[in-house]
Order: sequence, then structure tokens, then C-alpha cells
Amino acid sequence: MSRVRILGIGSPSGDDQVGWLAVDALLACGMQAKGEIVIEKLDRPGAGLIARLDDAAWVILIDAMQSGNQPGRVRRFDRKDWPTYSHGLSSHGFGVLGALALARELGSLPSRLDLYGIEIGSANPGEQAGGEILAAAQQLARHIAADLAATLLQA
Amino acid sequence: MSEQRRSVAIHVPVLTRVEGEGALDLRIEDGDIAELRLRIFEPPRFFEKFLEGHHYTEIPDMVARICGICPVAYQVTAAQALEKLFGVELNPWARDMRRVFYCGEWIQSHSLHIHLLAAPDFFGCSNAIELARIAPDEVRRGLRIQALGNELMELFGARSVHPVGLRIGGFHGAPALARIDAIRDKLAAALPEAEALIRWAAGIAVPQDEQAFVSVATRHPADYAIERGAIAASDGLLIEADDFDAHFAERHEPHSTALFSTYHGQPYLVGPLARLNLNHHRLPERVKALLNETGLVLPSRNLFHSLVARAVEILLALHEALRLLDGYRVPDSPWVPVTARAGITTGCTEAPRGLLWHRYEMDDDGRVVNARIVPPTSQNQARIEEDLRLSLLSFGLDQPDDALRLHCEKVIRNYDPCISCATHFLRMNVDRA
Repeated sequence: MSRVRILGIGSPSGDDQVGWLAVDALLACGMQAKGEIVIEKLDRPGAGLIARLDDAAWVILIDAMQSGNQPGRVRRFDRKDWPTYSHGLSSHGFGVLGALALARELGSLPSRLDLYGIEIGSANPGEQAGGEILAAAQQLARHIAADLAATLLQA
Repeated sequence: MSEQRRSVAIHVPVLTRVEGEGALDLRIEDGDIAELRLRIFEPPRFFEKFLEGHHYTEIPDMVARICGICPVAYQVTAAQALEKLFGVELNPWARDMRRVFYCGEWIQSHSLHIHLLAAPDFFGCSNAIELARIAPDEVRRGLRIQALGNELMELFGARSVHPVGLRIGGFHGAPALARIDAIRDKLAAALPEAEALIRWAAGIAVPQDEQAFVSVATRHPADYAIERGAIAASDGLLIEADDFDAHFAERHEPHSTALFSTYHGQPYLVGPLARLNLNHHRLPERVKALLNETGLVLPSRNLFHSLVARAVEILLALHEALRLLDGYRVPDSPWVPVTARAGITTGCTEAPRGLLWHRYEMDDDGRVVNARIVPPTSQNQARIEEDLRLSLLSFGLDQPDDALRLHCEKVIRNYDPCISCATHFLRMNVDRA
């Protein structure tokens, strides 16, 4: 079992790359995927996300979000903040929230799950992410690196 | 007026999702179906135009974008058609691995459909999350099987969504032996899980709804047809892909932007149940034996048996992948050279949802002059409408509106159409006359 798994979720579409950019920033600031830390970039993993939650004690998950706020704003969601997933699931529209909801029902959630959302603007295929998105990814990466260092040092 | 003579309008205004958009209109007047229309807006039509002018080397990657769930079907069908035109003979390694690659897609697509889309209907659940509360082990098993299918696709395609490993003439690369050994262990470990899945699926109580229809699927003399074969129908037809237009026709209906397909003027069925009806004698002996245990009598006229048909095909695909990976060797070259030539060509394979037919006209430079793609969902569209009509009459038009809506959804989901995601979000307005 990997003790810590860091997952950046994205797609090659403009600001939607933000989860990947956060992973890049983590690696750039010296974080290494070795030993008990696994770092992965995922491209719309669908139900495949559940298997990656199952075998870790602590999962840090970074994804794009659109809630109408300023692009670049970072928000951390506690489990109690997850909206109740009331829609039907489908093979085509199986998103992160659906996967988390299903993982919760299956008892597959790790003991600690940090879910970060970074507000994005446009997500057009082939476009680069905006400057504020890159800055937010770097800011979040620094925060996660500090959190990991402090927590793992105490352990 | 009695309950049986009531008038009801069920209108599902928009079924919106990436792989297809549609709507369902049902109007019951004086206890009879006055209107029933499934409207689908099918994306692959746009791709046909996109392909024009593009070089044959680009086609596999382009057609993969038609569907996020069954990209291999589109890639392999296009490759089959173009390789036929170019006179390419795949090496035995590439021929076998095409089938393994395709098996991965069947495994993941079928498992997703069974567990996320279809099964909740039969347990009184509105979605897979609710199903997970009452059948967590079965849902976990389904997710494991689905993940294994994805892994098989990634092995040859580098990724499972819109894979990029296939090229005209074979594959761009060949997996190392160590990776094949690892996945063979996983495939073997999944066999008992797939067998248990069949028993579970066969034990699910489904409506008894016998209907007469023609099954259409590819057929091959050597194996259960997936990536090769002629086109067969349950009335005895057996034709090559080139003769498709002589027997099958597409037509526009005013209420749909998708084309309706007919076979000799009638709706027909493609997909897992059609395949099982036509090709069950080609199943491996172990799969046949298990199928016999379930008591399923073939050919089946009950579309609700599609769920167990998918489970059977998962086990078949696992067996086939294992068989073809036995004694695996890395080839000298994973592809053979290709020389383009002008002409018209066709190809057909069995996508998870059914027969997929392609036609290409190519120029001397190996570029597409025009293309036609007939996907399974549009072929099934007329059959779905026919099924809904017959099934609702059998179910009883006097049922409450919610029950009618749920029954319509169940019927539609039997076909695993590319609007399946949308059919899980059916919202309806009921106007009582």
C-alpha cells in the first residue's frame, strides 16, 4: 500500500490542465514520487479513480472546478462538504464526484482524503492554461508540500 | 373513462450527453399509443466530414475520437477497411493482438454497462451508488473487471480513452513480455470472477417480454466474431461488408437527426444478444457449459437477456485474450509496410454495442475522399422504438406514469445506446388530457 497518493486530474483543454500543472509544480519544488509517496497525473479516470483510492492511507486529489468564482481561486473540500450525489451514473459521464460517492458506498475511501478544487475559466481543447491558473497550481503545490513535510515529519 | 382508457403524454425533452443526444416522446390516447418517438442526435455524422482530405495514417486516431467508450471498435474497423483496400496482410502477431485489444474494450464497456447502467434497474435502484449499498461485492467485482479491460486496452493503445497504439498495418509498438506475463496472471485471476458474474446476471429477475425480431451480427467460421467476419442475419443472410448497402438502408426521419437503419425495410437488432443468438455455437466450451447452466435458451427473443449476454461476452473476451497471449513473443516488427492506393473499401466489426460498418473512398495519395460510418446505435434506433411500443403494450399502458417512464428507460438501456448516459437522466413532463 502506498501511504500517500497525490492525484492531479485534468485534460489537455485550457485551464482544465490545472490538476496536471499542480503535479508539475510539486515535482518542480522537489517533491519526489518514491517510497511511500505516489504522484500521478490522471486524464478523466472515471470509475478507475476508485482503485487508486483503495490502496492508500492518504490521498490528495486536485481537480478543476467551475463555480462562477474568480479563476485561480483554490478551495479545499471536506467530506461533509461534498454535495449529495443525486444524479444517475453513466459510463460517459462518470466524474470525480460520482467516483468519490461510489467509493464511499464501497468503503474504499482512504482514512484521509484532501480534495482541492481550483477554479478555472475556459477549457478549450488545445489551448494553454491561463497565467492565474498556473500561479494557483504553484501556490497549491507549495501548500501541499509544506503539509506533507509537516505531517510526515510528525509520523 | 376507465384507467385503461386514459390519455397521457410523456415527454422527455432533452437527453443530453457527449456520445449522443436524444429525447423520448410518448403519447397515450384512449388507452393506445398514439405517438412514440425516440429522437437521437448522433455525433459520428460530423466525423465523416472531418475525415475528408485526411491521410490514412491519421484515420485511426481521428475515428477513435468518435466514442470514449468504444474507440477500439472505430479504429479496428477503419484499419480493416483500409488494409483491405491497400492489400495489406497483417502479420500473425498483429492479427491476434488486434483481437486482444478489442477484447479489452468489450470487457470494460460491458462491465460498465452492466454495473453502472443496467443492473440498478433490476434492483429498484436509481443508480450504481444505491446498488453498491445492497450489492457492494458485485459492484466491486464489476469495477475490477472493468479496470482489467482498460488495462488491456492501455497495453496496446498506451491509454484506454482514445488509444493511440494502432496504425494501418499493425501497431506502433509491441508490449514487452514482462507486461504480457503480468496481465495474463490478472486475466486468469479474473476468470472465476467473470463466471460468478454470469451466474449473478442470470439470476436477476427480468420481465418476460418475448418479441419477434431479426438479429444481425458478424460471423466468422473460426471464432466468435469480434474484429473480423461476414455480416449474418438470423433469417439466413450471409454477406460481405461490401454488400451492406444491398440489404441495409439508412433513412432520415423528421424527428431525428440520426439515420434510421432498416434491413429489407424492417427494424433489426445488433449488439450482444444478436451476437449470442447467431454465434453462441462459436463460444469456447467452458463458456458454453456455463451458459447452459444458466438455462438461457438461445436464440432469445427477450431483449432483457442482453444483460446476461454481456456477462457471457466478458468471459469469452477473457478466454480469448488469454488464449491469444499464450506463448506471446515480441515480434520483429509490430507492423508491416503499407502502400496506399485509390479505391472504395468497406469494413465491419462488432463494437460492444453491435455491428459497426465503415466505407471509405480514398484517392491516390491515400487521403479520404469521403467516408460513411454506420454505428450500432443508429442501427438499433428503429428497433428500440419498435421494442418500446411492444414492450409498453405488454407491460400495460394503465401502469402509473413513473412505472411507464422507468420501463421505457429499462428498455432503452437494454441496447446500451450511446445515449445511455442521458437515459439515466430521463426527466419527463406528464400532461393528462
